[in-house]
Amino acid sequence: MAEKAGVVSVRTERAPSRLLLPLVVVAFLAAMLAWLGLTQFLNALTLGAVYALIALGYTMVYGIIELINFAHGDVFMVGTFVSMFVSGTLLKEKNGIEDISALVFGLVLVFVITIAVMAVIGALIERFAYRPLRKAPKLAPLITAIGVSFILQNAVQYFFGPLTYNVPQIFPVTWAFMVGETRVPLLNLFVISVAAVLMFVLQLFISRTRTGRAMRTTAMDRDASSLMGVDINRTIMITFLIGSGLAGAAGVIHGLYYGNTNFTIGFASGLKAFTAAVLGGIGNTAGAALGGFLIAFVEVGAVVLGFSRWGGAVVFSLLVIFLVFRPTGLLGSSTGDRA
Amino acid sequence: MKVFNKKGFVALAAIALLAAACGGSTSGKTLTIGISLPLSGSALASAGPAQKGAELAVKDATVDGYTLVVKVLDHAVNGAHNPAQAAADMTTLVGDETVVAVVGPFNSGSAKAQIPVSSEAGLLQCSPSNTNPDLTKGDAGATLRGGRPVNYIRVATTDDIQGPAVAAYAFAQGKKAVYVVDDTEVYGKGIADAFAAKFADLGGTVLGRDAADPKTTDFTAIVAKAAAAKPDSVFYGGVTSSGAGLFRKAMIQAGLNVPLYGGDGIQDGNGEGSYIAIAGDAAMDSFSSVAAIHDIPAAADFAAKYKAAYGEDPGSYSASGYACAQVIIEAIKVAAKAGAVTREGVRDAAVKAGVTYSTVLGDLGFDENGDTTQKVISLYKVEGGDWVFDSQIDYAQQ
Amino acid sequence: MSRLTSRLPAPLARLAARLTTHFTSHRSQGIFFAIVALGILLPILSRVPPFGALQSINAWTNAFTIAVIYSILAIGLNVVIGFAGLLDLGYAAFFALGGYTYALVASPFLNIHLPFWPVLIIGAIIGAIFGVLLGAPTLRLRGDYLAIVTLGFGEIVPITLLNADKFTAGTIGIGGIDKPNIPGLYNFDLTNPWPFYILVLAMLAIVVIVVYRLEDSKIGRAWEAIREDELAAESSGINTTISKLQAFAVGAAIAGFIGVFNAAKLTIVAPDMFGFVVSVSTLSAVVLGGMGNVVGVGIGAFVIYLIQSVFLKQLSILFTQLSIPILKDIDFLQFQYVLYGAALVIMMLRRPQGIFPARRRHRTFTDATGNSK
Repeated sequence: MAEKAGVVSVRTERAPSRLLLPLVVVAFLAAMLAWLGLTQFLNALTLGAVYALIALGYTMVYGIIELINFAHGDVFMVGTFVSMFVSGTLLKEKNGIEDISALVFGLVLVFVITIAVMAVIGALIERFAYRPLRKAPKLAPLITAIGVSFILQNAVQYFFGPLTYNVPQIFPVTWAFMVGETRVPLLNLFVISVAAVLMFVLQLFISRTRTGRAMRTTAMDRDASSLMGVDINRTIMITFLIGSGLAGAAGVIHGLYYGNTNFTIGFASGLKAFTAAVLGGIGNTAGAALGGFLIAFVEVGAVVLGFSRWGGAVVFSLLVIFLVFRPTGLLGSSTGDRA
Repeated sequence: MKVFNKKGFVALAAIALLAAACGGSTSGKTLTIGISLPLSGSALASAGPAQKGAELAVKDATVDGYTLVVKVLDHAVNGAHNPAQAAADMTTLVGDETVVAVVGPFNSGSAKAQIPVSSEAGLLQCSPSNTNPDLTKGDAGATLRGGRPVNYIRVATTDDIQGPAVAAYAFAQGKKAVYVVDDTEVYGKGIADAFAAKFADLGGTVLGRDAADPKTTDFTAIVAKAAAAKPDSVFYGGVTSSGAGLFRKAMIQAGLNVPLYGGDGIQDGNGEGSYIAIAGDAAMDSFSSVAAIHDIPAAADFAAKYKAAYGEDPGSYSASGYACAQVIIEAIKVAAKAGAVTREGVRDAAVKAGVTYSTVLGDLGFDENGDTTQKVISLYKVEGGDWVFDSQIDYAQQ
Repeated sequence: MSRLTSRLPAPLARLAARLTTHFTSHRSQGIFFAIVALGILLPILSRVPPFGALQSINAWTNAFTIAVIYSILAIGLNVVIGFAGLLDLGYAAFFALGGYTYALVASPFLNIHLPFWPVLIIGAIIGAIFGVLLGAPTLRLRGDYLAIVTLGFGEIVPITLLNADKFTAGTIGIGGIDKPNIPGLYNFDLTNPWPFYILVLAMLAIVVIVVYRLEDSKIGRAWEAIREDELAAESSGINTTISKLQAFAVGAAIAGFIGVFNAAKLTIVAPDMFGFVVSVSTLSAVVLGGMGNVVGVGIGAFVIYLIQSVFLKQLSILFTQLSIPILKDIDFLQFQYVLYGAALVIMMLRRPQGIFPARRRHRTFTDATGNSK
């Protein structure tokens, strides 16, 4: 393989960017906070957390097998339903558990079960829909992914129904403290922290563990990695496990925060998360997370400026402009020549 | 040309066989009443009862010398009403020469797509729920039917009455500063415009206007913006499937504890997937209108009959669907008496000036635009987890 | 073909053989006669049980007309994907542009009423212009990135049509669009589906002939070379950027061309008629039909449309009416996308080259050893 595939990590070869990047991010966040005010800033960060977690799955899968996994948005959607099933049907929980120990138990259970179930579903999809097409041309798995997306949507519609359903918001939405005049809900802070922790753990996993290294080398050169003794199938399956698990976590967060779900939400969220992955430099996990937050800020900014109806158009225009003028995205550069 | 191969033909044959599995035929002197509604996905919850109401009316009726049958076409695509599919379905119905009238559509956007087709065919169409004024009135209405005779009638009161009625209701409750949000659709934007204009006329202030397309699930930014304007009430122009319940939930979650007003798009009972079910506890302090009479004569009889047929209580538009079919059947009877039943005959009979129909909704007729003469707006509020009837205003009297 | 002819009596076999030779060398005539035959055969077939029981002949003719619209759309997308190997996920945008072009110049909305026929050409030109505008900056990128840009474009166009309501009537859409007419001879009307049917078949014939001619031309061979190996194509002197732009423009022009007819047939255009679902269905038709094979993708789109909008819809209604236990409780409409999804997955796993594979398509769907995948 003459062309280098996507790298599943922040680039390390150019040192200044390692210092520059956090500075730019902090400056951007400060500017946004000043402009939007605290409430809208938190709204954007929360929405961004959902996009970022979904975007990670897109970017990891693309990085390793160069597949735009169209079904990934629907994996997130299934995640919202699994979390609804766990907290509503299994635990019979209602909104707002005030008792701390019961709340912690409930949250841990919902996150763990949903993430586990979604990881398994993601791996099964990989095993049966994508693996047989490993050597097929790129278009084949892409179309299979579209098919899987249809199947997931309709399976959910069949088992749960076509309506919008309430997901128990077990984290009390009433818990809040005041910063000056502004009410800061604890739920927003909780959701943002969970997402941040998950993303941090993922970075550690990719950069520090043996499996993480296998994922990176497979992304760079599958054949060479295979010769070096990396089990390609296992590595790809783990990528799907992690990506889908993160989408499951996004599903739980979506349920906790918005308190509802519907079988069609996967498409729009997926498309935006995918845009986030591209903006960040597809194949680059840190970039995907940044892209997710950037898109959330664009959307919230559009509302604040009175262009709520144009939010979608702005996001997709940004996508097109980026691809034309900076196809490598914000952070990635390794995919440029191949793209 | 050897472009086909054997396997290709086998696959094609399998498809043909699948199609062949659905044989069956009808015979006799059949008149078909088309039902064109969105009947799958999330659209089913509100449009399904209208379909059942219409079918019940056809089942109940007989016209001497003819067999009445219904032909149901669903124009929901991916779970939501789709104007293009609605137009395609209307051409299908127009193309079926046994179809003499149609019940439907449900959404104003689909009506915009269907009326040009049905008017050209002279096919009578009765909507149980359309409220957008531009479908019938003035230049917009004339343009839509291409200057041809009126063939589209409806039993719901229009939004130029409904929107202001809600505005007057809110104003009477002491509301002075409203924030208006719509769902960018034909119905939602229309009723929000009508509401905002009347509210300003009455002396109230419209603090701001926002729109979120029907796919929106995250309303937090819009709600935060609305909250910053410090309104004493909020109006949502749209329907439950566009996110009315989600919007209400986001309002309360963000601490914007002011009443929400809406049109008939949010008054869909309290069953699964309804505005009340989605908003949950946040639904308190919501007010809505229904563009139809609440105190229908013989309500208990109708409910009993409906329950006997379907094993469930009538929905918001069951009676409207029933009434539409009743008007159509009456028109068919008039046409049958005059000779052969033709589309033009049925159409002309239905929209004839001065005729009053005795329907399940009460006595009603149609004006020169095809709008119902029964101009009643019913107002509801949420109490104890359900919509409770508050009052009804008869605008025909005013 | 040869096995078929060998069973015929000698004179007939000779005739068949002569016809075969004739139409092989005069392909355009062959296409013309094939489409005429198809046009006569379809209505007859629609009267045969069980098809006849499903709906009336006029309703069938309508369904055929719309199905052919999707066939033409698929044939257009096939030029981009099947011939040049470029993945376009926002194809519906060009379809929309054609439709809105006609809607703006032939409806009461701006009160302009240009005749249908020249606008057909204008629609195609506008499609091509936008194809070039979008393609020129993006075609230097390869593969997936082009797919993403087209996907973004496919989302932007409907959102813009929705929100630029001063120019497009927004969510309501532009209605009351003029129908075609032949001045002094015939005015199309919606109650009679036959003229539309004949017109769409004529358009199909034009598109198929143009596309076949392109495929066999120097341009077509350049596309094939790029699809099979871009590097090799470039080294043999093909200007790949120009060549790809040509494919993109031709595909967009076909979508604009048929978009004009679609608007005239439905008499309305609205933003939500041109969403991602349309692009994906067209792509699926191309894939299921057999990428690169003009006849295959045409049939693919035709059959998919009929299954979706006639058979599955009728099936549910029929079982309900006949009160067949169990079957009547299954909502086949709700299952249509499961079937669709399953068909896509199974097809890719078992037969990625489509139901009717293209003859010349080798490398794309075969592995390195030359085995068909």
